[in-house]
Amino acid sequence: MSKLSGISILGYGAYIPMFRIKAAEISRVWGLSESELPVVEKSVNSVDEDTATIAAEAASYAVARAGIDPSKIGAVYVGSESHPYAVKPTGTIVAEVLGVNSRLLSADLEFACKAGTEAMELVTGLVASGMIEYGLAIGADTAQGKPRDALEYTAASGGVAVVIGRSGEGAIADLEYASSYVTDTPDFWRRGHERYPMHGSRFTGAPAYFHHIISAVRMVQEDGYSLEEFDYAVFHQPNSKFPFAVAKMLGIPAKKVEPGVVVNVIGNTYAASSMMGLAKVLDQAKPGEKILMASYGSGAGSDVFIFRVKEGVLAKRNRAPLVSELIERKRYIDYALYLKARGKIRE
Amino acid sequence: MHAIFRPPVNWRHRRFRYGLVVWRCLNCGAVHQYATRICRRCRSNRVAEDRLPDRARLVTLTVVKNPPVSFEKQAPYIVGLVEFEDGTKMLTGITDCEPEELKPGMELERVVRKIAEDGESGLIVYGYKFRPVIKRR
Repeated sequence: MSKLSGISILGYGAYIPMFRIKAAEISRVWGLSESELPVVEKSVNSVDEDTATIAAEAASYAVARAGIDPSKIGAVYVGSESHPYAVKPTGTIVAEVLGVNSRLLSADLEFACKAGTEAMELVTGLVASGMIEYGLAIGADTAQGKPRDALEYTAASGGVAVVIGRSGEGAIADLEYASSYVTDTPDFWRRGHERYPMHGSRFTGAPAYFHHIISAVRMVQEDGYSLEEFDYAVFHQPNSKFPFAVAKMLGIPAKKVEPGVVVNVIGNTYAASSMMGLAKVLDQAKPGEKILMASYGSGAGSDVFIFRVKEGVLAKRNRAPLVSELIERKRYIDYALYLKARGKIRE
Repeated sequence: MHAIFRPPVNWRHRRFRYGLVVWRCLNCGAVHQYATRICRRCRSNRVAEDRLPDRARLVTLTVVKNPPVSFEKQAPYIVGLVEFEDGTKMLTGITDCEPEELKPGMELERVVRKIAEDGESGLIVYGYKFRPVIKRR
């Protein structure tokens, strides 16, 4: 854990389903006032999409950008809180879709919204140890929000995948630092066989999101980094206020956070949320720039990473759709079609 | 109901469903959806693994409004006939669009989606569908 050398992101890929529902359309049904809406709109999976298909699509873009032979991938980890099966891995479906060799490490991870970055930590360790040449870390979700609950306005669908391997020509970003801060904090949970999660309302703020991200970033500072050296700061984005609020507490200017923020237009993609911010920053960053990233997962923990952007990003960026292009590909649906797409209409 | 998606059948077809991996007869050109040593059309034993391209052109389409069992959740859905560069034609689900947006000759790209679900507790069947190519700037 902590400082690393010789490990890089070689490919990344994001995928966002094309359907959007406006927060105002949800409030038309449940009656929240416009000033209370946490985002403008959120992405909704199509009726034929789930975490496995979203993860596979993001992963195919990551592999296309990496330009590697998928059969050389030695690990596929999918982090999500909406795996299609309770028992039967998502990772093996994704691996088979990509044509990855069966000599493979694979498992599904669950750690609320930081399950995807936990996959990044694991793959990093496997590459660093030499056990694998390349690994895929994926965060993908079709997140659940109970009708009328505050989360219904933000719980969205999307996925991001990164291919991690040894540094070299074609590296998109070197991974300089990886660590994590976790405690047992009951801010948000879903019991087995329950359809929707529960949360501690305002308790999800100070002792949960803010405490863990700030503690993770303090570790970075204790290990000798100054927050001023970062060109971008990417945080988990459960709503449009939190990433800017935590940046303010840390003394990081909003303009370093802004480039990675997508929550206002696609909602909270849970396990993909902070990774979506990273993908959007990689879509625009220049070689030499440094990125600080801190995810947050309820329950609770924050994974923290430092990346230095490399030359490879310039040639690879356009091999797959950019986050902004996926955001622009949208079609609005009303609350009735939303209920159908989300499987909330029961026979 | 469970007869439709027995695990062995679903498993045997997975490489075709997930990646359009086919077995092509080198003698007569026939395309088979799963591994075979003998061409089912001309009985030649010169059969090799191949992969159909990720893009195809739309030939024609229809909309299914009265779906068979296990496909109900997705109705109404589009089923199209697409043609690959090599002339191979195939039926496929078409997603992420409305029927009015589709025109014969239009280029489509392959994705993997949920095809059907065997109730709440049975298997979820994943496989290819085609959709309009994502617009790039």
